[in-house]
Order: sequence, then C-alpha cells, then structure tokens
Amino acid sequence: MTKHNLVHGRLLALAALTMACALSAPANAATGEENFAKICGACHSIGGGKLVGPDLAGVTTRRTEDWLLKFIKSPKAMIDAGDATAVALFKEFNLVMPDATQYNDAEIKDIVAYLATKSGVAAAATPPPPPKEASPAEIARGQNLFQGLERLKNGGPACNSCHHVKNDAVIGGGVLAKELTTVFSTMGTPGINAILGKPPFPVMAAAYAEHPLTDDESAALVGFLQDADKKHELQQPRDYGFRLVWSGAAALVPLMGLYSLIWRKRKVRPVNDKVFDRQVKGGDDVAQ
Amino acid sequence: MDIRAQTAVVFHLDKCIGCHTCSVACKNIWTDRKGAEYQWWNNVETKPGTGYPGKWEDQSIYNGGWVKDANGRIQLKGAGKKKGLLNIFHNPSMPTVEDYYEPFTYNYLNLIEAPPGNDQPTARPVSLITGEPMDVKMGPNWDDDLSGTPDYARNDPNLAALTPAERSAMFQLERMAFFYLPRICNHCLNPACVASCPSGAIYKRGEDGVVLINQKVCRAWRMCVTACPYKKSYYNWHTGKSEKCILCYPRMEAGYAPACMHSCVGRIRYIGVILYDADKIEAVASAEPKDLVARQLDLMMDPFDDKVIAAAKANGIADSTIKAAQNSPSFKFIKQWGMALPLHPEFRTLPMLWYVPPLLPVMASVTQTDGAQKDKLNPIAKTWTDNWLYDTSTEELWGTVEQARFPLKYLASLFAAGETGEVSLRLKKLMAVRIYRRWKTVGDIPEAKMTKALKETGLTQESAEAIFYLTALAKFNDRFVIPAAHREQAMEMLEFTGDVKGSTGFGFREKPERGM
Repeated sequence: MTKHNLVHGRLLALAALTMACALSAPANAATGEENFAKICGACHSIGGGKLVGPDLAGVTTRRTEDWLLKFIKSPKAMIDAGDATAVALFKEFNLVMPDATQYNDAEIKDIVAYLATKSGVAAAATPPPPPKEASPAEIARGQNLFQGLERLKNGGPACNSCHHVKNDAVIGGGVLAKELTTVFSTMGTPGINAILGKPPFPVMAAAYAEHPLTDDESAALVGFLQDADKKHELQQPRDYGFRLVWSGAAALVPLMGLYSLIWRKRKVRPVNDKVFDRQVKGGDDVAQ
Repeated sequence: MDIRAQTAVVFHLDKCIGCHTCSVACKNIWTDRKGAEYQWWNNVETKPGTGYPGKWEDQSIYNGGWVKDANGRIQLKGAGKKKGLLNIFHNPSMPTVEDYYEPFTYNYLNLIEAPPGNDQPTARPVSLITGEPMDVKMGPNWDDDLSGTPDYARNDPNLAALTPAERSAMFQLERMAFFYLPRICNHCLNPACVASCPSGAIYKRGEDGVVLINQKVCRAWRMCVTACPYKKSYYNWHTGKSEKCILCYPRMEAGYAPACMHSCVGRIRYIGVILYDADKIEAVASAEPKDLVARQLDLMMDPFDDKVIAAAKANGIADSTIKAAQNSPSFKFIKQWGMALPLHPEFRTLPMLWYVPPLLPVMASVTQTDGAQKDKLNPIAKTWTDNWLYDTSTEELWGTVEQARFPLKYLASLFAAGETGEVSLRLKKLMAVRIYRRWKTVGDIPEAKMTKALKETGLTQESAEAIFYLTALAKFNDRFVIPAAHREQAMEMLEFTGDVKGSTGFGFREKPERGM
C-alpha cells in the first residue's frame, strides 16, 4: 500500500466514524447520566425503588419516547390536558413533578437516552424499609434548625424563611415556598434527604449552592418533619372566626382613648380656623 | 469667664412706621424662591394682634422654647429625645400651611393675553403651591393696622395677662392704640432650634453668634420649626430642608448691614457686637421669670473692662471685634442705658434681638377739648368736627406711665415675662429723654422737673444727649457697627495659603487658556 493510499484509507475511516457519531449524536447517554444524577436523582431512582417519584427502571419500555419528552418538559401541562397516564401518576404520587423549564430539549433527550440504556434494569422488588423514628434530641435539633434558632453549619438560611410548618412548637414560617407540614408522608426520608442534599428547585438550589447542609443536619430536619407530619392533626391552630374581628374592634376603643389622652394637647385645628369660618359664613359670630 | 462675641440687634419700636420695607428687602434677597414663598424671615406685626404665624406666642399651641422641670433645670418644651421619639411620625405641634397662609400670586398674564370677549379680563389669584386658582384667605400681615378687631387684636395671646375689664378698656374706640413689632430671627444665646435638631444641622457660629441651618445636613425632621418659640425657622416644602434668617451673613462679612436694617425707612434698627460670658448661659436661662431680664443683662460684659478684654483675647476674639463691641449701639441701648427689652424672655432662649419699647401710642392720652382752640383759629380754617384731642404732654411727671393706654401688664407680657417694673423703667427713661430735650429746645419745662426726671431714671444730661443722638440723629456708621469678619483667618485654618503663592493670585476655578 502506498503512503497515499494509507492516508486515503484513514481519511475514509475518519469520515465513516464522524458519520456514525453524527447519526447517533442527537442523544448522548453519557451527558444524560450526568444530568440525571444532578436533576432527577433527588426524587427518582433506577432500580432503587420508589422515592418521591416512581422508580424509572424500564420506563422507556413502558412509555413511548415522545410521551416521556413531553411529560418531562411539562408534567403540569399533561395533567391539565387530561392525559390518562399522567393523571394516574398524579393520583398515585399526589405531587406534580416540577416543569423542566430551565432545560432545553437536547438535554431532556440526553436524559431519555440515558434511561433507555438502563431499560434492562429490573425495578426493585421490595419496597424501601420503613422510615426509622428519630430520637427526641434529633427532633428538637431539627426544630431549632428549621426556625433558625440554631445556625446551619455552612451558613445556609433557615427553612422557615420560605417554608411554613403547622406546628405549635415553631413560629409561623414564610409563604414563599411550599408548606411542609405533610411533606414527610409525600416524600419520605430518602426524598427529603435527596432534596436537602441536591435541591432540584432553582431558588432553593441557588440559596444552598454555597451553603450545603451537612448530613446530620439533614437527618435532624427529616426527624423534625416526620414528627411534625405525625402530629400535625393534633396541632390545629385555633380558629377565632369573627371573634377576632370583634375583639379587635373592642380593643380599638380604649386604644383610641389612650391616644387621645397622650396627644390631648395636639393642635387639632389651624389657629386661623375661626377667621376662615367667619369669612365663609359672612360674619355670623361677630358681635356687631 | 468664657467671653464670646455675639451680634446683637436693637429695634427701636417708637420709630417703626410699619412700612414693611424690611420684609420686602429680605424677601427679594432670600425667600423669593419656590417653597420659600410663605417664609418671612423678617415680618412686621401689628400689636395687639395675632402675628405670623397665627398666635405664635401661644406655646400651649406650638410647644416651642424651654420650660423648667421639677429639678429647676431647663428642658425643651416640645422636643428632646423622649418627646421626639413619641412624635416621630407626626409632630402634633407643627404649624400647618393654614397657620401661615397659602402663598399666592395673580395670573397677570391673563390681563394682556385673554382672548377678545365681552368681559374685562381679570387676574385671578393662583396658589403658589398647587398652581390652581384659589380664594385668598390669609396673608403674612393680614392683621396689619387692625387693632381692636375680633379676629386679630382680641386673639392676641398677651391679653391672657390682663383682666377682662382691662382688655375691654384697651379696645375702647377712644383709647385704641397699636404699635408695630418687626421680627427677625433672634439669634438666641440659648437657641431651642439648635438644641432640638436631631440631625445636628443647626449651629451657632462661633465668631458672631449667627444661628444657621446647614442645608447639607438638614434631614427635614422639622423639630426646629416647632422648637423655635418665635416660629422663625421655616420648612421649605420644595427642597425638603428647613430655612431661617441668616442675618445676611454674606453682607455682614463684607461689612454691610443686613438688608432689612440697611433698607429700614424709620432707621429703627441698630446692630453691633456685645461680649458675653458663655459660662453663665445655663444659669441665666434657668432664672426665675421676674429675674430673667436683669439676669440677661448680667450676661453681657463690659467691653471696657480689662479682665473682659483679656478673657476675650484669650478666646481668640480679634481686636477689631473688641473695638466694635466698645462702639456697639446695641451695647449702649441694652446694657449701658438699659433701655431695651428682649421679646418674650420667658421662652428662655436668651434672644439677642432687643426692643426699645414703644412710648408714643402707649403714653399719648385722648382728652376732650373745650373748643377753645377752635376759637383761636381763622373762621375758614378746616377743623375736626369732633372735640377730642390727641395729647402727648403730661402734667404729672410719670402720670401717663401708670395710666397708659395699654396696661403695662400687656407690654410686660410681651417684653419682660410679666415684670411690669422693667417696662415702666424703660418707658420712664424714654420719657425723661423727651423731657430733657423739651427743656433744652422748647424751654417750657422747668429745669427742676427735667433734673428730677433724669435723676429718677438714673440718666445724666450727657447720657440723655447720647440717647437722643443715637435715637434721632445717628448716621449709618453709628447704627451699624460691624466688625471685620476676618475670613482670611478662617481660611488659613482650613488651608495653607502659601501653597498658591507664586501662582497667579489665589488660583483659578477655571484656568485661562491662551488665545481666543
């Protein structure tokens, strides 16, 4: 073989390789694996059993690729549109998966491609072990961490800056994010742990990116949330109804009295009021 | 002894004709601006009357000035940390625009620009705040010359010192009188505005005692507006800063009298330096009401006393200032002759604007004539149809002081914290000078009576002559004795002027360029 032929052959081989790559490129399973761990792993396992969402082992055999792409893009839209499978999933898990607004189509395709490579893995046969009860000390610590009485070790914001939990032991939290009273029943230990470890929600992810929670903090918070979930039905805040309005109105009266007492010497009318009044009335009160 | 220099002002009320030239001069120079239209750093009030803003003297309304607490120490009446915090969102004593007046102009352009029509075009009044047409309800001198009116004169807060009988006697048509009270900032020695400012924006200048508001530091708390019992600090709603009389310090630093004094038609205004002992301020401000005037006079030191001069020099007061203090018309009227009184000393701010009380409207009596005078006149001479005579002469030496048309209590409420003795002494002095001059020029008063009058008031022929000169004949430089401001020394404290030596002059704001 001449040198010329050799070069020619290599070029051809390179071209063929490039062609092959180009054809298979639309979905890169390797990138998909990375993204899966980052984005989906908090709630989904492959063959590890049900976490927050379903076990995705063999999902590509159960659903069409098209359906998966659409569903990942916007589960809410699917449910709203009345897709039977989506509605059924929603009923089963009682939770809507967040829309993948910040990921583009190519990234989603990568993830689906990755799922396809795992289609052979069998779903976990046994359900995950029941959550273990946290110790009272852990619950108390979780409670303190939740409302910021104890600072998170890496300096992250306290949970109740954004979240509320209906629990008499803690003060009311923010309403910027989801109420977490029954989050434990929905997600369980692995789900909560996964979210605390790698928050899939953009705001939460940004807030804790530089200030991750430590494992023992997560455990304490899970313990507290479990406790709060268990007790939440006993923790009904009292409903005062209209009594609140009436007592407010009743308290207003002495309060106003107090104010008028404190500021009894205040200047109520301009000093020239009488002059103005007389100008308008035309001299009624002037002794002629 | 902590001797400091203070620019003190004297207004001779007998000479004020109520022309408002001072107010207009001041307005033209300083307050003819948006947000400052209602500010009258200088205003002229008719007394008895309510003044500007309405009833400013009534501190039960405005809570200005100082009061003594249980320990005998003085406290701000309406300001301070606790009271300020309590009223942080709404100061209940704040004067409102209705207490002043809504400033207005007239739509003059309509007179020449109105389209042709059946009606004569008019210049409607327009609010300077909203720009909308308005009905004028009040002005800065709405009580001008309206003594006796129910709206103004009878609402004068000083009438509280009188019995109802005295009050009604004051407003009998035959006895009715009034005088003018021109007012500027008093540049007090114990200023309530300075003490009340939460931002520390107000300060009293060390070199001449002028009280100023730093416009860069003012944060619009407006505590000074309520704290000043004379209501001479005004809030500029456009700039969001408070403003007040600056005693025309740019003019003073150039050696000119403040504009209101310079323009005064009646020549009632005198300005000069006094030296005072700053160590005594708190004690004097806490004095008993009856002692307030006398103790304030104690504060002012004799500028000829060697000890005072030495202490003044030790405090860095320039020789030119000490010389001006020795020459000061204010010192003569206030301390040397004891003829002036501070306005409302009971506010305890130690005002440095003193008033020579008005003699003529108070003393002159109205007596019935018997028609004898008319008989002497030419039959075709025009005569008044009534038979009342306005009479300023007196048979008894001090008779008319005791039977003044205004009860002395009224003047004492204005000028002496209710101490009538202080007022009658000054009125007697004024009268003694008159008696002396009448003896000298007309000669119809016996010398014994003149001597008695001078002796009883502690005057001599020389001092009476000097009082007459400064009252009636004084020239510009006698009335306004303004020491050099020594700005060059102030500048040298801030920068080394040698830095620019060798350059052209003292440097350029913009460097000149060569060529065209």
